[in-house]
Amino acid sequence: MPTDNDTAIASPAATGSIEVRDLTFAYGREPVLRDVSFNLSKCAIGLLGPNGSGKTTLLRALLGHLRMSSGHVDVLGSDMAVKPHAARKRIGWMPERGGILPAMSGVGMVAYLGELSGMPVTDALQRSHEVLNYVGLADERYRKADTYSQGMRQRLKLAQALVHDPDWLFLDEPTSGLDPSGRVSLLELVRDLARAKGFGVILSTHLLADVREVCEEILVLHKGVLLDHGRVEVDTNGDMGVFIVEGFGEEQAFADQLTATGVPFERQERLWEISVPRASGAQMILEAAAASQYALRRLEAKTETLEDLFFRLVDDGSVTPGEGGE
Amino acid sequence: MPVYERGYRPWENSGKRAAPAWRAIARRGIAEPIKSRRLLFLLVVAWVPAIVKGGILYFTFKMGELSKLLGGDWTDITAAGFHAFLMWQAPFVLIILAIIGANLIAKDREENGLALYFSRPLGLKDYVAGKGAIILTYYFAVTLFPLYALCIFGYLVTNGATGIEMLIEIPLRGTAYCLLAGTSYALVLLAISSLSTRTAFAAMWWVLLVAGTKALAEINALFDARLAIMSFPGQFLNGGTLFFGANPNLEGVSPVVSLGMIILYGAVGWLILRRRIRPVEVVS
Repeated sequence: MPTDNDTAIASPAATGSIEVRDLTFAYGREPVLRDVSFNLSKCAIGLLGPNGSGKTTLLRALLGHLRMSSGHVDVLGSDMAVKPHAARKRIGWMPERGGILPAMSGVGMVAYLGELSGMPVTDALQRSHEVLNYVGLADERYRKADTYSQGMRQRLKLAQALVHDPDWLFLDEPTSGLDPSGRVSLLELVRDLARAKGFGVILSTHLLADVREVCEEILVLHKGVLLDHGRVEVDTNGDMGVFIVEGFGEEQAFADQLTATGVPFERQERLWEISVPRASGAQMILEAAAASQYALRRLEAKTETLEDLFFRLVDDGSVTPGEGGE
Repeated sequence: MPVYERGYRPWENSGKRAAPAWRAIARRGIAEPIKSRRLLFLLVVAWVPAIVKGGILYFTFKMGELSKLLGGDWTDITAAGFHAFLMWQAPFVLIILAIIGANLIAKDREENGLALYFSRPLGLKDYVAGKGAIILTYYFAVTLFPLYALCIFGYLVTNGATGIEMLIEIPLRGTAYCLLAGTSYALVLLAISSLSTRTAFAAMWWVLLVAGTKALAEINALFDARLAIMSFPGQFLNGGTLFFGANPNLEGVSPVVSLGMIILYGAVGWLILRRRIRPVEVVS
């Protein structure tokens, strides 16, 4: 028989979960989100989709910024259409565009936003120093925020999202406009927060590589429709590497050898697309080729792009555009 | 050293009481402009009429008949005299509020800062109350606070002979009027600030509203006195006569009508703010 304790543990507030049911939203007659449904428990989730697919709108719906045409959004046990404030105390949001309060120093801005999140003044100021140190802005904290470089601005926005120690971080295109080294170090921070510090993270991006770097689960949005929700390794071939192979010789023997080692492949004339576990790299393919006397002329790792993922999801019989999947 | 090795410590709540969001907004907004020396200088200059009036009051009561040479509102220690004092402060109100208020929302909008506010646990009322409190504070700094100071000074130089008027009646009249006028000013100025992402434009619209409508009304009033109703600042001063028992200072416009206009300005300002600042986006 369930006790009160059991109920508390199972509640969305206690488990830190997010529930979205049949969410539909439209700007005028143009639907931006269509019948989106999913449940998320606290982990790192990649919200993936091309520009204009509805990612930012979905994040804003999760923050309670939108009055939905229909549907229900429940974040940490709060119905965001009715009582968003309690949940917002436990959410840190990093917007894609802007998100800087001009004429304030970095430390001043983060402390100020901490106060607005319900922190006492002294706590907010102390936390501001701590999180700016964590994101690597300790030396620049007294500079005016509007003089920061793009990379520093992104870190500052992450710091303001962290200041009140939320349960969830909603990050909207955090690597947007960053150079490669800036991107890598910001993703390192996000991965650390998600994997080591136990934050729930929703990482909205159009870059599949960012999702692979950080996330355990993936939500794929396309034209406002949720195409897929699942584990990153499964849905983006995260643990599998795909190689393009071209060669000549005993083709049938090579195919038999691949089949015997349990490696999935597709073949179009002399081109082979072979999926192997990432850990083994191309070694399995080389061994199969050697064993079957198949001479390789080309062996090239294929990177799955966002487009590839979309086409694969749409081509996959189990998921069709227009239906939300989980 | 990789950045993530810098460590992250969860927040340990000190248990101290947190201020409501509107107070945090107000405190920050009041403290920031004070750092500007130019504004500090303006605030000091805005107190000059109060200092002059205080000096004249002193001589009036210390020099007896000789003080009659000074004459006019400067020596008037009735409520009407203090209403006249608020009229002298009108140019300072125009300038200081333009400096303080024009950027309050425009700057937030410029950098998508509004979204940051409303990702926090606060709503439109908290936001407007916080921003409005900043304007009210600076409005009071050049109107109500000098009035209080004058009342206390007047009480002291009259050796307590004007106790009820100086310590109760006039401060109460002043407080009631300044609260109403300041709130209306704040809502209108915030509404103007919300209409633009450029502080300069917002300041320009404010100056046009205050100085432009005053000039227009004065020209039109030459032909028809009732057209004085077009003057935005004129309504505040004319409506104020009701609070201080002074003679109406707009010919052809009843102080009651002016009072209604003050309330109407505030209501229109609030409606604009509701449309322009949306914590929750409503799509029809």
